[in-house]
Parts: sequence; structure tokens; C-alpha cells
Amino acid sequence: MSRHPIAALRHRLGRFDDIALGVVVLAIVPQLVVGTGMTYQARLLTIALTFAIFTLGLNVVFGHTDQLFLFVGALAGVGAYTTALLADAVGVSPWLVLPVGALLAGAIGMLVSYVSARRGMTVIVIAILTLSLQLAIMELFGGARDLTRGSTGFLFSGLEVTFLTETLGFSRYVAHYYVLLAVLAVLLVGYRLAMTSKYGLAFKAIRQDEVAAESVGIDVVKYKTIAGFAAAAIIGLAGPLYAHGEGWIEPSMFSFNTVDVIVLIMLVVGGMRTTWGPVVGAGAIVYLEEQLHVLGQWRMTALGLLLMVLFLYFRSGIVPKVTAALDGDGRSVSLTDVTDRFG
Amino acid sequence: MEVVTLAEIAVDAIARGLLFALLGAGITLVFGLGDVLNLSLGAFAIVAAVIGATVVSTVPVPIAALAALAGVAALGLAIDRVLLSPVYRTDGEERILLGIFVTLGLAIAIDGVLFAEFSLRYAFPLDVASRTIGGVTVLGSTMVVIVVASIALAGLFLFLRRTTLGKATRTVFQDETGALLCGINPRRLRSLIFVLSVVMAGTAGLLWSIQAPVGAGSAFDLTIYGIIVSIVGGVRNIEGTAVAGVGLGLLMTYANYFIGAYQAMIVLFGFVVVVLIARPEEIA
Repeated sequence: MSRHPIAALRHRLGRFDDIALGVVVLAIVPQLVVGTGMTYQARLLTIALTFAIFTLGLNVVFGHTDQLFLFVGALAGVGAYTTALLADAVGVSPWLVLPVGALLAGAIGMLVSYVSARRGMTVIVIAILTLSLQLAIMELFGGARDLTRGSTGFLFSGLEVTFLTETLGFSRYVAHYYVLLAVLAVLLVGYRLAMTSKYGLAFKAIRQDEVAAESVGIDVVKYKTIAGFAAAAIIGLAGPLYAHGEGWIEPSMFSFNTVDVIVLIMLVVGGMRTTWGPVVGAGAIVYLEEQLHVLGQWRMTALGLLLMVLFLYFRSGIVPKVTAALDGDGRSVSLTDVTDRFG
Repeated sequence: MEVVTLAEIAVDAIARGLLFALLGAGITLVFGLGDVLNLSLGAFAIVAAVIGATVVSTVPVPIAALAALAGVAALGLAIDRVLLSPVYRTDGEERILLGIFVTLGLAIAIDGVLFAEFSLRYAFPLDVASRTIGGVTVLGSTMVVIVVASIALAGLFLFLRRTTLGKATRTVFQDETGALLCGINPRRLRSLIFVLSVVMAGTAGLLWSIQAPVGAGSAFDLTIYGIIVSIVGGVRNIEGTAVAGVGLGLLMTYANYFIGAYQAMIVLFGFVVVVLIARPEEIA
């Protein structure tokens, strides 16, 4: 059996086998779904991946450290506006200043987490605090017209990869999809590394009992601050990519209703504290929203009703449900399913 | 700067502040009594305004207002029975989170209905002449807002202070187990309070629509105002909420006048952040 190529590959990939498989599957998807000239489907795929990255960020901070960040949209906006405006002002490619936007968003997340951990804020206080920041930052985006051009917004498409579009001949959206997939793959590997390291262990201890964690020498403030930084930086990194996908930057793209509500739903539906929950949740909600179009103007009502049902009765999320249904260790079981099909 | 202008702004600010206080009371009642942060509160205010503006063409103004409040009360009762029961079966942090999620879904669903069926902006037509008091001109609509909102808030205080039911409610605010031991049924009180809170929001919505037309798009903003006022006033303190409402009305209206609209909003949210950092334990 060890000679079997897939088993051998799996052995070499070790604990990253599911991530490798998942990324390969995601890399094939556009080739299957997107025919020539079908930009609409391609655009939906890029939105799903963008929101998967946002949701992954929220998973780190909310799922693992119970800090409910309700300013995902604002953090993404900080990343997007910083990158776009700075690139424009300095006259360089947005790729070069992308880390600046991510670090600035990360610094905001770090500050919020540090202050809230020091002040002993509960989840509800953090939720309201970050919601207030979300709304204040939105006012700033809309109001500082000289800088942001207000609610009219401006064109932004500086994050092209000419190798993908010109050399390989991918369409704009498909090329952007692969950029997002590369970022997602790196983040998933980083997530797995972090959660199987002392960080994951510390997060688990803090979630179970903060006082007990403190008493065995875990620096609760430090770990919560690190989680806040990491999540906000991930979201701040995805912000400019989101803006590039839309080809435009304007405040309404980053509003509570457009980003935070959706990301929160994706996380709960997909499954908190799982590697694939954010990706599955993002895919499921984007697909679902698409299907709800047949309802016309009743789409929003249906979404709201569905949300209540999901939150009341399926709180554990798809990934944990499927994992439980597959009995025991979901990772290896699902992989065997795939190998069986090949073999 | 003319003193008269400042006074005129102050009157507007008090009217705005009393509307904030009504919304804040709606948040405080339900959060204080059951740890549910009702993110759909603003939707109830808009529903009341829509019902009021729709039926007022066929019935006299007071009947239309009462019909609007009866409508949101019935909707509130149904939602309390169907949706909040599973929330109240959980406790602690789980209840807080489930409350946020469920009322968020509800807010989206109600907004969806409003966008689909009542997509216009609604105004409650009320023709009251302006009056000049000591050189200060006060709009008729502003006077109506101040009088009606004051009566509604005073009524709420009298209910909580003077009636047995109100005292029982305050007991649950302070100590749920103790109340239970005194033979009070917290679940039934919660239903009553939820209905009361949406009626407060409905009153705010009706009054708001006298001054400026409202539509589905305004719902979440009203919820936010309610939350801010409730936070600043202390989420379990109904008197504090009323004071905070008027105070924030003044702060916002003067900031609006002196430094501009969007800066005023940033001042408002900044103030909330400062309050939260200064005393987070009051909300938890």
C-alpha cells in the first residue's frame, strides 16, 4: 500500500494533505465552471474566494479567541484605501504597498484586541466596540472626500498579474481567481501550522477557561493580541484584492451589511474553528445567494429567514456536521473516499 | 453667534435626543431583562411608520397612530413567542450570541419585506403650526415630538416604578434567580417587556416620520442609535438611557452645526468607543 502513489504523496504532505487536495480541487473549478466569455461565473468564484479569506480571518479572532470583530468591512477598507491611495501618491505598483495596508489594518486589530483584553471586555462589548469603529471608519471613507473621493469612489485595478493574463491568456477574473487561490493556500497552511503549534494550544486553553489558562502561565493578553493582529492583517490584505476584483473602490463595498453580516453567516454556516469551514461557508452562501435570485425582490427576506433557521438549528456548521457524519477523523476519511474513487 | 440660533438648535437637539432615548429604552429593556441585544429594533420603528402613514389616509391621525403601535405590538408578540423562545432556552454567552444572530436575521427579513413591498419613504402627515416662544421659533412637528416622546418616557418610568408588574420587572433586571424565588415568571415578563420595547421603538419611528420621511434603508441606523444611547446610559439603567439620549442628541446636533455632518457622526462613535473602554464591566 505504501507503494501506492497517492498514499506516498499523502505521506510526504503529512498534515497538509487535505489542504493540498482542496487547493488542487479549487484550482480545477474555474476550468470546469467557466466557459469562454463567461465572466459572470468567474466573478462569482472570485467573490467566493475573497470572502473565504475574510471569513478565515474572522475565524482566527472570533472562532479561536472569542473576540467578535464586527469591523471586518472597515479593516478590508483600510487595507484597500491605504494600498490604492499610497500606490497612487508614491507612484509605485500597488503590489509593493499591499503589505502596508495589511500592516495598518493589523495594527488596528492589534490595538483593539490589546485594549479589550486589558480591560477584560466580554464578547458583547467587543462586538459593540468594533461595530462603533466600523461605523466611524465608514463615515471617514464617505466623508473625507478630498482623500477618498467620497461615495463616488474611484477605479482600482492595479493588482493585475500580467503573467497570468498575457502569457497564459486567462481572462481577468480567472487570473484574479488564481491570485486569490494562491493567497488562500498560503493562509490555510499558515492556519494549520499555527493551530497545531503552541498558539493553537494556547487559544484552546484560553477559550475553555481564561483564568485557568492564566494560572498555568499562558499570557492571555498576548495571545488575544496576536490573534487580533493576525486576523486584521489577513482581512487588510484581502481588502485590496477585493477592490481589484470589483475594479472599483467605494465606501458601500465595505459596509457592515455588505461585508460583516455575510462573513459572519459564512463562518457560522461553514463551521467555526475548522480549516475548511470558512471556504465551505463562503462557497455555500455565494451559491445560495445566487439561487435565491429566482425569488426576485423577496431574496433578502428569504435570506433573513434562512439565517434565523440556520442560527437556531444548525449552529455547529456544515464542516463539523459532515466530519461527524463521516465518523471520527474527517480529514483522513474524506481523503480515503477520494482515493477509493481513484483506485 | 446669536443666542436665539443656539436656543433653536437646542430645541431641535432635545427633540432628537428624546427620540434617541425612546430607541435606547427599547434596547435597554430587552438587553437588561434577557441579555438579548435586539438588532431588529429599528425595523419595528420603520414598520410602525409605514403602517401609520398607510392607514392615515382612511382614519383620523390618533387612530392611525394607535393602529401602527398595535401593529408592531402584535408583530413583537409573535416574534417573541416564535423566535425568542429558543434563544431564552440557552444561557450566558451562548444566549447573547444567539440573540445577536437571530435578531440580525430578523432585521434582514423585515428589511427585505419593506424593500419588496413598501419601498417608498413614508411620512406621517401632521399639520401643527410653528410657534415663537420668547423669540425662539419652534416647528410644530418638533413640539409634537417633544410632548409625545416625553409622555411615552414618563409612562414607561411610572410603569416600572409604580406598578406591581413594573416592580417585578425591575426585580428580574437586578436578580433573576431572586425574582424566580419570589414567584415571578421571568419568561412572561420578558414577553411583556419585548412588546413594550417594540412599542417604544414604534413610537420613535412614528415621531421620526413626522419630522423626516423614513424608509427601509433607515432601519439599521435607528437600531444603531438605540444601541449607542443604551451603551452610554448603562445597558441595565433605564433612567441613564433617557439622560444619555438627550445628552447625545445635544452633542450630535451641536457637533453637526459647528463641525459638519460626517465629523459629528465620528464624534458620536468615538464617544461610544471611549465609554466602552472606560467602563466595559457595566455592559458585560
